[in-house]
Amino acid sequence: MTSLTERYLAAALRGIPEAQRADVERELRSSIADAVEDRLTAGEDRAEAETAVLEGLGDPVRLAAGLAGRPLYLIGPGLFVEYRQLLIMLLSVVIPIVGIVLAGVSLWGGEDLVGAIVDGVGGAWNTAIHLAFWVTVAFVLVERVDAMREARDEITGAHGHWTVDRLPALPASRVTAGETVGEVVTTLISIGGILFLNGASWFRDASGDVIGLFNPEVWGFWMPVLIAVLVAIAGLQIVIFLVGRWTIPLAFANTALQVAFTAPFAALALSGSLFNPEFADALGWPPLADGNGPVTLSIVAGAVLVTIWEIFDGFRRARRADTTIAGIGAPGKAL
Amino acid sequence: MVDDELLGTHRQELRRGTLVLASLLALRAPEYGYALLKRLEIAGLPSDGNTIYPLLRRLEERGLLVSEWNTDDTRPRKFYRTSPAGDELAKQLMTDMTELTASLRALNGGPDR
Repeated sequence: MTSLTERYLAAALRGIPEAQRADVERELRSSIADAVEDRLTAGEDRAEAETAVLEGLGDPVRLAAGLAGRPLYLIGPGLFVEYRQLLIMLLSVVIPIVGIVLAGVSLWGGEDLVGAIVDGVGGAWNTAIHLAFWVTVAFVLVERVDAMREARDEITGAHGHWTVDRLPALPASRVTAGETVGEVVTTLISIGGILFLNGASWFRDASGDVIGLFNPEVWGFWMPVLIAVLVAIAGLQIVIFLVGRWTIPLAFANTALQVAFTAPFAALALSGSLFNPEFADALGWPPLADGNGPVTLSIVAGAVLVTIWEIFDGFRRARRADTTIAGIGAPGKAL
Repeated sequence: MVDDELLGTHRQELRRGTLVLASLLALRAPEYGYALLKRLEIAGLPSDGNTIYPLLRRLEERGLLVSEWNTDDTRPRKFYRTSPAGDELAKQLMTDMTELTASLRALNGGPDR
């Protein structure tokens, strides 16, 4: 046998459990020899025949997986549904709790609000990574380790047969009054919050005037613009309620308004002209007004993420409403 | 005209479903892996080494085949033979196969035709 066959065998046998290795090697070796011999009889030269036979057997890793009865995937279809459900459930329950608790602890320990939020988000993120990693490792082990076959059967069995009771409810495509009121109130609270944050007398200067949170230069022109955009967003919510559902044009209008708010907001924040430097000084924490400071970057990142979600949500609901109306019989398409 | 690739895929799928039955039937007379491959090919059921060799091991593991090394020949060969349990399974599958063919024939010659 030449080095090609030896290399093929070595590559294949690496994936075979010790106990079967000798037996598999002997069988593979004779099978390859038989096949090569057949081709030699048919008039091919040795090198050509050997290459053709080995290539016919295909990737040795794949062949070894087949011979050893090992899967070529990390988590197979038998466990995938449970894996996904568990992961989503854990993440959606544990992560917010961890974030809030960490932020609370940090606040209690004397950190300011922004620092506490940074701690909470950072801690939640780390926890999410760990959680996802270890849950995945556990499922991969259950899937692949023979000794865990029983555990695997139990997990699959406990989930049992699917029944119609598990069907999710039809997605509500119609925008309800409550939903609209909620959205409008949220937008109005944002406007009120901006006005309150700027006007509240946290600090006063030497002459007794209130030092605003936002940069006065920006306050003069940009704040009215941003507030006008927020009012327009509230107006759009009412329009959507009157139309009855999200549509693609409404989703585009929503996109335009969201961008009209976030783009100038982020630009102002990043250029360092959103917050009032005097306010930052009075607070005793100048980095607050720094365009590249941690606060600004967190706020901008948060605003961008929320905007992306809002835009995406608009299109998602428009599409969902479309499919629900177009195919009452096929609600599965809605997702 | 059916697309060749599509035809190939479905043909392969159809044959893969009958490969266990074909192997159990063929191995009622003991044979080693490569010879079985040749035999199936001659019988009109071509397959690949990377399908057959894993399949033989799986069937042996489940007690449907028994194996024995034969070292009398020019090179050692692992001979597989259908076990009584394998033979029983083959009989049932063969009945099913006959019924399937009949069902398909009925569908093919049904009232719409």
